[in-house]
Amino acid sequence: MEKEKTIDYANAKYYENRELSWLKFDHRVLSEARDKSIPLLERTKFVSITSSNLDEFFMVRVASLKDMVHAKYKKPDIAGLTATQQLEKINQATRELVEIQYSTYNRSLLPMLKAQGISVYDRMELLSEVQLQSAERYFDEVVYPVLTPMAVDASRPFPLIRNKTLNIAALIQKEEENVFATVQVPSVLPRLVPLPTEGENEYAFVLLEQLIMHNIGRLFSNYQVLCTSPYRIMRNADLPIDEDEASDLLKEIEKQLKKRQWGEVIRLEVDDDVDKELLSILKKELDTANEDVFKINGPLDLTFLMKLYGLEGKDELRYAPYQPQPVPELIGESNIFEAIKKGDILLHHPYQTFQPVVDFIRQAANDPDVLAIKQTLYRVSGNSPIIASLAQAAENGKQVTVLVELKARFDEENNIVWAKKLEKAGCHVIYGLVGLKTHSKIALVVRKEEDGIRRYVHLGTGNYNDSTAKLYTDCGIFTCSEAIGEDATAVFNMLSGYSEPLSWNHLVVAPIWLRNKFLKLIRRETRHALDGNEARIEAKMNSLCDQEIIAALYEASAAGVQIDLIVRGICCLKVGIPDVSENIRVRSIVGNFLEHSRIFYFYNNGNEEVYMGSADWMPRNLDRRVEIIFPVLDPKLQKKVRHILQVELEDNTKAHLLTAEGSYIKQDKRGKVLVNSQLQFCEEAVGAVPKAENQYKDRVFIPAEPINSEEQEEDE
Amino acid sequence: MGVTTFAAIYVGSYEVSLKVFEISGNKNIRTVDFIRTRVELGKDVFHGQPIGYELVDEICDVLLEFRRIMDGYRVDDYEAYSGPVLRNTSNCLFILDQIERRTGIRIKTVGNSEHRFLSYKCVASKPEFGRMISESAAVVNVGGGELQITLFVHGEVLTTQHLVLGTMRLAQLFADGNLRSDNIKQQMKELIDKEMEVFKAQYYQNRTIKYLILTGDYSLEVMRRMDKNLDDTTVDAGKFSSYLKRLEKKERAQIAEALNLSNDSDMLLLPSLILYRRIVETLAADAIWVPGIDISDGIVYDYALRHRYVKPVHDFDKDVISAAHSLSQRYMSYSPHIDALVEMSSLIYDAMKKVHGMGKRERLLLQTAAILHDCGKYVSFANAPQCAYDIILSSEIMGLSHRDRVIVASIVKYNTYPLDPYDEVSDVLDQEGYLIVAKCASILRVANAMDRSHKQKFKNVRAVLKGKQLILSIETADGMLLEKTMFDAKAGMFEDVFSIKPVVKEKKIYL
Repeated sequence: MEKEKTIDYANAKYYENRELSWLKFDHRVLSEARDKSIPLLERTKFVSITSSNLDEFFMVRVASLKDMVHAKYKKPDIAGLTATQQLEKINQATRELVEIQYSTYNRSLLPMLKAQGISVYDRMELLSEVQLQSAERYFDEVVYPVLTPMAVDASRPFPLIRNKTLNIAALIQKEEENVFATVQVPSVLPRLVPLPTEGENEYAFVLLEQLIMHNIGRLFSNYQVLCTSPYRIMRNADLPIDEDEASDLLKEIEKQLKKRQWGEVIRLEVDDDVDKELLSILKKELDTANEDVFKINGPLDLTFLMKLYGLEGKDELRYAPYQPQPVPELIGESNIFEAIKKGDILLHHPYQTFQPVVDFIRQAANDPDVLAIKQTLYRVSGNSPIIASLAQAAENGKQVTVLVELKARFDEENNIVWAKKLEKAGCHVIYGLVGLKTHSKIALVVRKEEDGIRRYVHLGTGNYNDSTAKLYTDCGIFTCSEAIGEDATAVFNMLSGYSEPLSWNHLVVAPIWLRNKFLKLIRRETRHALDGNEARIEAKMNSLCDQEIIAALYEASAAGVQIDLIVRGICCLKVGIPDVSENIRVRSIVGNFLEHSRIFYFYNNGNEEVYMGSADWMPRNLDRRVEIIFPVLDPKLQKKVRHILQVELEDNTKAHLLTAEGSYIKQDKRGKVLVNSQLQFCEEAVGAVPKAENQYKDRVFIPAEPINSEEQEEDE
Repeated sequence: MGVTTFAAIYVGSYEVSLKVFEISGNKNIRTVDFIRTRVELGKDVFHGQPIGYELVDEICDVLLEFRRIMDGYRVDDYEAYSGPVLRNTSNCLFILDQIERRTGIRIKTVGNSEHRFLSYKCVASKPEFGRMISESAAVVNVGGGELQITLFVHGEVLTTQHLVLGTMRLAQLFADGNLRSDNIKQQMKELIDKEMEVFKAQYYQNRTIKYLILTGDYSLEVMRRMDKNLDDTTVDAGKFSSYLKRLEKKERAQIAEALNLSNDSDMLLLPSLILYRRIVETLAADAIWVPGIDISDGIVYDYALRHRYVKPVHDFDKDVISAAHSLSQRYMSYSPHIDALVEMSSLIYDAMKKVHGMGKRERLLLQTAAILHDCGKYVSFANAPQCAYDIILSSEIMGLSHRDRVIVASIVKYNTYPLDPYDEVSDVLDQEGYLIVAKCASILRVANAMDRSHKQKFKNVRAVLKGKQLILSIETADGMLLEKTMFDAKAGMFEDVFSIKPVVKEKKIYL
């Protein structure tokens, strides 16, 4: 008891700043790009991912910190840092990250790609005569018509430079007078301009901005071009302040920031040999401070590397595509409802196929016994079969209620398009709740069967997105348990604006009760430990940054609870602090698939409890979103879920361990049996399918487009 | 037999709800969906104002949405009720009409008596109920505007009282934001105690009650937090109230958390808990049973009963009779004469069946009137009929609707007073009710005349319809002079109503 008095678990020194922790995560992703055991194109993909991650990080997180600085908001964060201090540290850490990023690209990936017959030229001088001709023709026919060069002078003000676009700045001269000009690198054209090659199965590309710079004289024909340089800006994303830090302060900030500086430039990337005068004009016109200028040693915006990933004929440079396996319980079942009636079913994606979830909705849409389908949709794939089925169901006269979360970041536009489509088909579309994001993943099918109404529920940790389900590791459960069905009905009643049920059976629903529920569960373990009993917590999530939860974990650790956490991204918890977190171990798995499931295990003095759901231990998940956490009640399923945790805790290939110093290291594998959890789950999923069924053919998914949402900090 | 899907809509003082049920072949009633939405009608009504158009719009929107949901479930039938809150509104009729025009949903308004009776019926259908009332039990139903207590001793209704104390009403009364929360709790307690103590003083005397059967919002949630007694249904009353006491000390959000409620800002939560504790402590039962039943369960049960999906397990008519007996005793009017009168009037009623064409229900009303016909003398001998009329109208008799009570009271009144023409009573009675009153009152008059001396001078009465005459043959040892004299005077109305002349045939027996 004395200990508790002397240790303040909320002390800022026990916490890591979330932005810096996030940058460490991006480092871990980058380290995959440097892992020689990984196929080359996979490594290239990881560089691209770190780049798009960083962009979003700036737009959202850095932007919101800047807002706080402008608002003179002084309250320190969880780790005791003010916004200004954080920005300084982020700036430094970002520079380090970018440096490794480009040295990886320039020094290892580029030469290796070349050796494998894939050349990416960032200077026109490197092109052969034939290639140059082809490039010039491409410029004339395709590029030139879409360029809009703009010069700046007294009568033409500095144009609006759009967020995230790549541009070329030029200093041009006429009659001894220097004029600034800019032209946007058209985003409608591929960044990589293909060039003819001699060898078979060889590729060569030149970067589009190089081609334009090479021909810049033709855009300003009456001028002499003195110098050119590509540049790119990042603006404060056109969204309200990220509500994370800001529940109380949001209003405060809003008050102070009467005139919000929409779209303020928060980062300016330029080539590292940019002309001084050009840079100073850019800085002045874009109102950018010195510390926000990033001089880049290489092509700006490495997201184009994702294009290389899909190159044909280079299979040896990629992992063999994995085919999601059929779910054993559903093999040979033509009616999914009959199968669910036999017992709860666990789905583990992407090891197991997402198809049953699609079938669930599709069969419901055409089943004459089905009365209603209700579903929450957060991020959906562009051509979603689920959307099509929901629309079909409405046309078939079913009651279809769909909650569409319009506030899903960076997806707003996409969501509006198909939400309208659903409405047109006759679905009852609910556009989210005021002030809350609906992040829960739940689908309910109400069926009128002979013996009455029966409800089938799918609960998941991932979105109803058939594309990402092939890349994200997620879990889901099918059940027709009456208690959960009742809760599910109540969830949708609540989302439709009706009163909440007086109480819930099994589901734990944020924003109202989730935090308390978790705190209770953690504290229960603490009590067990204090009573001298075995106490254990194992939890897997994407991010851990809720101060109250972390403090409760510290307290639990101090009481002797053994805590193993698998946190892919941000982790504000520090391990190995004497008397505070000595019993806590944190690992992060960064692999080929994006770790995405949230699983929570509590030993509870032998009466083990397992929960899964949509929420991380982040303030935004616990307070400002509609999240659902559901218990895994069936002992068989519980065992399977526990197995997932155990294998991931044994992973010594893709897991990075958090050290007391705050760095992440890979384990020493000498003398150990190598465990790669993702690989093992793949094998297990294949093994679980009866032999005859192994012929199962699914479409092989090869991302043909950059998957922007992948590995994002904000992925949901 | 298949499954019937039924929906019950209820418009209450603070919320509008839709509960979808399945009534299945094996006589089970299962709740499928329960949708509630806040529409605080009580806010306007309890402050004496008519319901404003915004609220009407709100109700209509909700009801239209309910229609859609009912269609979704393909419900076979539905019924919509509203509680006293609508009935007590000055613009009730207009509102009901507007709702029906706009949504197609016809809402039945029920007075407090029917309202409470609906839920009570459902509670009474539970097997535990019979067991508990056969010892002694207080059935308490707490609503937004009022609460009702019915006391049972040895299976008989002792009284039913309806107190103007409801959760919404309390919340509204103390809605003034300037009051400190401690103060509010204290004042609420005092207000509740004042009412409850009077009830206790009048009906409890030295009685103890074994069971408290409690229904009302949040009561089930409290119950769930408690350990059950050995019988697996009730909880210990002492523990119940001390748990409530602990809860009351907390903030609303903490209470909500303790009870695992999803809405932590319900202003009705605290009034409910305070009310429950005061009830539990005042009524001082040993054990508490919370059947977790609301009005919608009552509506579906009533529907199932009427459509013979379920069989009645409790005799509600018996409740009415026993409640009438208690009432009669309370006004010191009970005597052997009453029993004789009940018997006699029932006899005539049954013999006249073909002529009067009334059913079982009216027979019950007649019996009730017979039991209560003399209670006015407690107040005034000269004005007894009018006083009896007033007493009956103001007394709660579980199982009788407001209209039923008007009929009973009128039968009693016209047992003595000459029957008023319909025009003069059309404000309280519809035509059908008026006819029932006229028929029953004339039967009661004849029956009463037979025992004018209250001495039960006759035995073995038989009533037979013969042509245009109702022959009442009686055996008597004493002189029936008074009775015979009175008889002719009292039989006039009988002739007017039925066109049949009652005739007494006396057979003297010698002891």
